[in-house]
Amino acid sequence: MVCGGMDSDHHINGDLARGFENMVCVRCNDGFSMQDQMVNSSGQVWHSECFVCAQCFEPFPDGIYFEFEGRKYCEHDFHVLYSPCCGKCNEFIVGRVIKAMNASWHPACFCCEICSKQLADIGFLRNAGRALCRECNEREKAAGHGRYVCHKCHAMIDDGQHIKFRGDSFHPYHFKCKRCNVELTTASREVNGELYCLRCHDTMGIPICGACHRPIEERVVAALGKHWHVDHFVCSVCEKPFLGHRHYERKGLPYCEQHFHKLFGNLCFKCGDPCCGEVFQALQKTWCVKCFSCSFCDKKLDQKTKFYEFDMKPTCRRCYDRFPTELKKRISESLKDRDVENQRRSMSPGPK
Amino acid sequence: MPKDKKKEEVTEVEHVDRNISSFSQISHLIDAEIITRLTLSHNKLTSVPPNIADLVNLQSLNLWNNQIEDLPPSISSLSKLRILNVGMNKLSILPRGFGSFASLEILDLTYNNLSERSLPGNFFFIQTLRALYLGDNDFEMLPGDVENLQNLQILVLRENDLLSLPKEIGKLSRLQELHIQGNRLAMIPPELGNLELVGDKKTLRLEHNPFIPRIQSEIGIEYFKRKSEAGSWKSEFHSTLVPGTVELFESGTSG
Repeated sequence: MVCGGMDSDHHINGDLARGFENMVCVRCNDGFSMQDQMVNSSGQVWHSECFVCAQCFEPFPDGIYFEFEGRKYCEHDFHVLYSPCCGKCNEFIVGRVIKAMNASWHPACFCCEICSKQLADIGFLRNAGRALCRECNEREKAAGHGRYVCHKCHAMIDDGQHIKFRGDSFHPYHFKCKRCNVELTTASREVNGELYCLRCHDTMGIPICGACHRPIEERVVAALGKHWHVDHFVCSVCEKPFLGHRHYERKGLPYCEQHFHKLFGNLCFKCGDPCCGEVFQALQKTWCVKCFSCSFCDKKLDQKTKFYEFDMKPTCRRCYDRFPTELKKRISESLKDRDVENQRRSMSPGPK
Repeated sequence: MPKDKKKEEVTEVEHVDRNISSFSQISHLIDAEIITRLTLSHNKLTSVPPNIADLVNLQSLNLWNNQIEDLPPSISSLSKLRILNVGMNKLSILPRGFGSFASLEILDLTYNNLSERSLPGNFFFIQTLRALYLGDNDFEMLPGDVENLQNLQILVLRENDLLSLPKEIGKLSRLQELHIQGNRLAMIPPELGNLELVGDKKTLRLEHNPFIPRIQSEIGIEYFKRKSEAGSWKSEFHSTLVPGTVELFESGTSG
C-alpha cells in the first residue's frame, strides 16, 4: 500500500514540454494536448480528469489517495475495501491494529470488559468469550465457579437461566420452538432431541405422570386411566414400584398383590398367603386349592366332597360323624332354629 | 401316608384315628428338624411331651379329638407354628406363658373344659392371632384384655356360660365373625355397634341367649329383617337398641 498526495495544479513545466507528445495517460492511454491538465505521480502521468479513485471514479478529496495492488482509492473507499473495522466502535482502524478475540480493535477500544482498562499493552485473558485483564479474570473465575457456560456463545449464564439441550447448557434465547418458532425461555422442554416451548409441549400429548405431575419423557406406564413414570407407579401401601409386576386396583388405587389381599381379603384362610388362580370360596372364606381341607383331620377336600359347617369351619363327613352325639343334637337344633328364623324372615313383610 | 418314604423327606406327618396313645409311638417317624405339619386327630393321646418344642419348623399341629388334659409350657416356643388345633380334648387349663407364640394365627380350643380362670396372663397377647375358637367351653366372662388381639378376625364363644361381654370387644376392629350364640347373655355392649358384623363376608350369631325382651325383639325381628340391608342396621343398633339396654339394666340392678 502506498499512500501518496499531490497538488491538483501540479502542471508539467516547460522542461518536460518537449517530450509530452510521446506521453500517454496511464488510465485512458490517450495522449495529451497542450490544453490538457496533466497529473504526474511517481513518474506516471494522467489526464487530470482521469486521476480518480478506482472505486468511485471521483477525484481524490484533497488529492489524497491510497494505493493498493497498483490501484488508487480515495480514503473512504480504501477503508471500505481494505481497512479493518474495530470490534467495539465499528469505525475503521488506521494505524495500529490490535488483533485479538477473532476481531480487530483500535488500541483504545480493546479494553477489559469488566474494568475497561486498556489491554493492548498489558495483555489479556479469555474468560467465557470475554477479554479480561488479569485481575478481573481471577475474580470472575472465583465468582463464576459452578455456573453454567453457554455451549453456543460461551458466556456465563445467570443462575437458573440455562436450559439443557442434548446434554449441554445454553442460553434459551439461542433457540426457537421447533413447532411455533417462538424464542425459547427456561420453560422449554426437549422432546426427541428437539426443543419446544412449554405451550407447544403441553399440547403435543406428552404424557404427564399421575404421581409427580411432570411430563414423562422415558418409558411410560399406562394404568388406572393415567400415565406414570416407571418409578412412580407404586403400591399404595408399601410404595414399591411394580416395575412390570402385576398390580391390583381398588377404588382407583394400585396395590401390590400382597397388600391388595391383605387389605381386601383374598388371603387364604389357612396359609395366610394371597390366593392366586383357582380358589375355594365357602363359609365366607377363601382357600388356596392346596389348603382347602377338613379343619379337624386335615383331609383334603375338593368341590365334589360334601362337607359340613361347624363354627363356619369346613368339616368332613367322618369328623362330623365322630362328634359327640350331644353336640350333633345341639347342632341340628340350632340349624332347625335357623331354618324357622329364615322362614319367618321370608314371610314377614320386611322393609324394602 | 408316606410311611415307606425315608423319614428325612417327610415334612408332613398325618396319623388320624390310629389309636395312638403316646407321642413315643410315632416319634421314630418324625424328623424333628424338617417336619412342618403334624396331624394326630382322633387318637387317644393324653398329653403332649415337652420335647414337642424340638419340632422347630412346625407350622401346623392338629390334635383334634384326643384326651389331652394339659399342654407343656414349651409348646409356645414353637416359633413357626401358625395353626394349633387342640379342640375336643380335656383341657381345663392352659400352661403358663401360653400367649408367647410368635406366629400363631389360628387357635382352636373348641370343646374343652376351659374358662376365664384357665387362661394364663398373657393369653390375649398373641399379636398374630386371626382366629380364636373357644366354643363349647365354660367361660362365664371374657377378659377385657381381648382388645389386645388386634388382628383377630374370628371369635367364637358359642355355647359357653357367658353372662356378659366386655366393652373392649368393640375395639377388635378387624373382626368379621362373632359367634356368641348359646350363652347366658342378657345384654350386648353397645360398643359392639362399632364393628361392622353384618354384610358381605361377615357373620354374627346371637341366637339362644336370654336377652332382655327389648334386645330380643330387636334381634328377633329387626336384626333379621335388617340383616339384608346392612347399612341401616348399624345405626339402628345404636339408636334404639342401646338406650333400651341401659334403661332396663338400671331398673334390673336396683330391683
